[in-house]
Amino acid sequence: MLWKKMFRDILSSKGSYLACLVLVLIGLVVFTSFSILRENLSFSKEYFYREQNFAHGFVELECMPRGEVERLSRIEGISDISGRMVKEVRVHELRPEASVYLKLVSLDLAELRRVNDVLLLQGDELAAGEEELDAWIDNQFFEANGLELYQELEIIAGGSLKRVTLAGVGMSPEFTYPLRDLKEIYPNPEQFGIAFLSLEDMEALFPETRGRVNDLVFTLEPGADFERVKERLETELEQYGLRTVYPREEQVSHLILTEEIKQIGNMSRVLPLLFLFIAGVILYIMLKRLVEQQRGQIGIMKAFGYTDTEVVVHYLSYALLVGSIGGIAGGIIGIVLAAPLTGLLLEFFNVPEVYESFALRYLLTGLLLSVAVFLFSGYHGCKQVLKLKPAEAMRPPAPAFAGKTFLESVHFFWEMLTIQGKMAVRNLSRNRSRTFFLFLGIMVSCAVVAMTWSLNDMIDKLIFFQFEEVETYDAKITFNAPADRKKVERELQGVPEVMWAEPVLEVPVKLSHRWLEEDVLLLGLTGPGRLYNILDASGRRITPSEEGLILSERLADNLEVSIGSTLELESPLLHSDDDKVEVVVVEIVPQYVGMNAYMELAALEEILKRGELATSFLVNVGDPPAAPEGGGGDGGNAISALRDRYREAGMVTGVDGREERLEQTRELMETFGVAVYLYVFIGVITCFSIIYSASFITLSERSRELASMMVLGMTTREVFAVITFEQWFVSVFAMVAGLPLAMLMQWGFAREMTTDLYTVPASLTPESFLMALLITTLSIWLAQRFVLRGIEKLSLVDVLKTRE
Amino acid sequence: MAKLLIEARNIKKRYQMGEVIVYALRGVDFTLYEKELVVVLGPSGSGKSTLLNIIGGMDRASEGEFYFGDFHLHEASERQLTYYRRNEVGFIFQFYNLMPNLTAYENIDLSAQIAENPLDIDGLLEQVGLSERRDHFPSQLSGGEQQRVAIARGLAKNPRMLLCDEPTGSLDLASGIQVLKLLRDFCDDYQKTVVIITHNTEISKMADRVVYLKDGLVDKVEINDSPLSAEQVSW
Repeated sequence: MLWKKMFRDILSSKGSYLACLVLVLIGLVVFTSFSILRENLSFSKEYFYREQNFAHGFVELECMPRGEVERLSRIEGISDISGRMVKEVRVHELRPEASVYLKLVSLDLAELRRVNDVLLLQGDELAAGEEELDAWIDNQFFEANGLELYQELEIIAGGSLKRVTLAGVGMSPEFTYPLRDLKEIYPNPEQFGIAFLSLEDMEALFPETRGRVNDLVFTLEPGADFERVKERLETELEQYGLRTVYPREEQVSHLILTEEIKQIGNMSRVLPLLFLFIAGVILYIMLKRLVEQQRGQIGIMKAFGYTDTEVVVHYLSYALLVGSIGGIAGGIIGIVLAAPLTGLLLEFFNVPEVYESFALRYLLTGLLLSVAVFLFSGYHGCKQVLKLKPAEAMRPPAPAFAGKTFLESVHFFWEMLTIQGKMAVRNLSRNRSRTFFLFLGIMVSCAVVAMTWSLNDMIDKLIFFQFEEVETYDAKITFNAPADRKKVERELQGVPEVMWAEPVLEVPVKLSHRWLEEDVLLLGLTGPGRLYNILDASGRRITPSEEGLILSERLADNLEVSIGSTLELESPLLHSDDDKVEVVVVEIVPQYVGMNAYMELAALEEILKRGELATSFLVNVGDPPAAPEGGGGDGGNAISALRDRYREAGMVTGVDGREERLEQTRELMETFGVAVYLYVFIGVITCFSIIYSASFITLSERSRELASMMVLGMTTREVFAVITFEQWFVSVFAMVAGLPLAMLMQWGFAREMTTDLYTVPASLTPESFLMALLITTLSIWLAQRFVLRGIEKLSLVDVLKTRE
Repeated sequence: MAKLLIEARNIKKRYQMGEVIVYALRGVDFTLYEKELVVVLGPSGSGKSTLLNIIGGMDRASEGEFYFGDFHLHEASERQLTYYRRNEVGFIFQFYNLMPNLTAYENIDLSAQIAENPLDIDGLLEQVGLSERRDHFPSQLSGGEQQRVAIARGLAKNPRMLLCDEPTGSLDLASGIQVLKLLRDFCDDYQKTVVIITHNTEISKMADRVVYLKDGLVDKVEINDSPLSAEQVSW
């Protein structure tokens, strides 16, 4: 019989219970799907790493005899080591509108346990020594460019056009997130891919590399210390122009994939708890109110002989029902969503889909979690039942003492309020815990929306600061080796499309300060240049210094240096007379993508003592006077012309248009927008549920008061205004308080997200906060429309005839 | 001859209770004149509260015609009924129905605010004898005091009539007499129409006119030529 009572009670307040249910549901969907997703990704990743013998350490160097690899394999701690030749080449005429690059990685076919082995998805084994050059191509590049098996690709290797046959399609744990350079945020498989060739075919492409390698990857024996192995390798490889030795933890693909898994794990814990907490508080308030309302009924039940436990269990069954329905439904939806989400992410990260099913475990955990939270809040909501004696319960409660509130002593404020306003303020101060919950809920919702919305701005800033503020050239011409600067300058002067050109010298360096060291690219720039701007925190342009280095903030933090500190600089490009040189830090600037050091070009050349060099040229283009009509001012035609001009040039790796990169990044960013809207939706739902339940509790609690006002002759709108005044009063303060919370959340998020690859700026833009205000206001307004309907339905006669 | 304020003809009110139709009023003819104190008397279930709710614009009749002056209340929209309650009617309930979080003064002010021509609140408080307790909240007042605040609140709008549903039902005799005296005084001093609904026959002795209801119909109407003062009534 009590079940019937429960169902009818729930039906009579179905809106509020539904709001609770929706919140639990969202919480559990996020919990189950994200937890399973995290497990699946971890499992697939580990499986992939294990099967393909993914390296623990990576070495980049100028070049060394291949025979030396065998010797290195005897270093204590190294399990397997593979020597490779890695080269970047341009693909000829695959896409007419843009430069397409391939990173070629050699594979030693004779090796038994190859490190970073390739998983062949389709096609044939690589054959060595045949006349035809065979390659395996990475699956994303293969699909993005609509390639076919056994198709021939033309590449420009060592200054001449070569043909490579696509013998197979594969994937490697080393390139789950392939970035051409660290200034990119997303992989761009249309224009950058990986190709694997046998050592012999690689040597056929680059005869000058015969018998040599420029890249090593190694795995460690169980329990071996990477740092000790690194020290040994540094000593052994110094003579071969060692550039860097770094552990798996710093490998870009691994770093990003691991970070992503970590974040999914964090979200799977934080978000569900937030939702369950809010739902729990709503349920607590509702049950507390229900017990107060049903005081008489509780008295009767007790008078009949129901025990305290039976009555409490009856009221707990409300919590149990909502918790279990929400828990089971949320869990099931979560499980259903987990599979496509896993597929999507694994595809994005280019990891083969291999995982076990963890569904049941999370379904049960989620269910237990939601039931536990609800039973806890439900028990606290209805524990007052225990205190009531039957006779006492059947009498109305003694009226609560209603004194003056603190705000009444603020006379000017108090006098400003209408009677309705005074009622509202007193109601709020008398239901402090509820007011606090309302405040908290709206504050959090507003902050979540503001923070999420500003993620857009944040990412915008991250990318567009680099592509619009820092880099202002039209195109970048990159060379495959440091070139004679003056010679190139003279060449470019004769090119009609080039209006302005500035050289850049990119030098791989190791910077050390005390025991800290970082491998970065040092950019030598002409100062004052106009195509690459070094900007300080306030956006002011800084001229590259002749006196010392300008460091990015992250780099300065990592090295624990400040302006005036002295660093040691090592580089394979340093003149052989110099082991290392000392340089002073003259400026520290923000940099959102990548981590670099900067110096005036001539000063850098002086340090290197290798003459006047450039590794690339930044150019501004214009259509030459003879260009056909409709050439436009965007330089698109001029860049194409430039690309055509150097298509066959051996020393030019590529001509990249800045606008094109910006456009591609923008396209890639659109997927990110969906996630933002999802979070905004979650914020709206939360805010709506809170206001909706709070309003309905108010409506049921104060129906008598509201009906009295209507009998006095107030219109429904006027009565409605009393409730909404209360809510707006709290909401305004809550939304304002949402601003610092959003900033705090943003700061935490930025800290969490910042890696050596990106520095996420923690800036909350006014637009995103205004948007949050607008969205929060809208969801409050929407929830209140339902309350208005509730007031319109109030039966004056029924409410007022009953005894309080 | 006093001016006619309300005229109701053949008022019926029925409720659908599942498959059964229950009649609360079966065809009541009822008139109300200006400046008179009318007591509607009847046992429980006779339909007196239903009648009061319809007169007060809180409920609608299922059938019948109902005029307030020239205004057809049975055809009025919700909004018109609201404005009718706002400007023409003051209500007093058995359970006071005061706003718990407004002081005595503020409860009256709440009502005065929406009226076109409200009465002075302090004057009303003085008349109901609660000037000293103007800043007290309902929970700090006795039942009789709360009902007096309710009367002042009902009057503050300066309505044409005051409708009282069992106004002494929850009060002891002394407080009840005080309340009745106030109602009589307001009828005389402010020239208002007062309708009291009660099942207490003693109260009918102070009425100018007594309407007896029985089973949803007017049983009889008595005109009282020499009504008693409130102090003379006892139960």
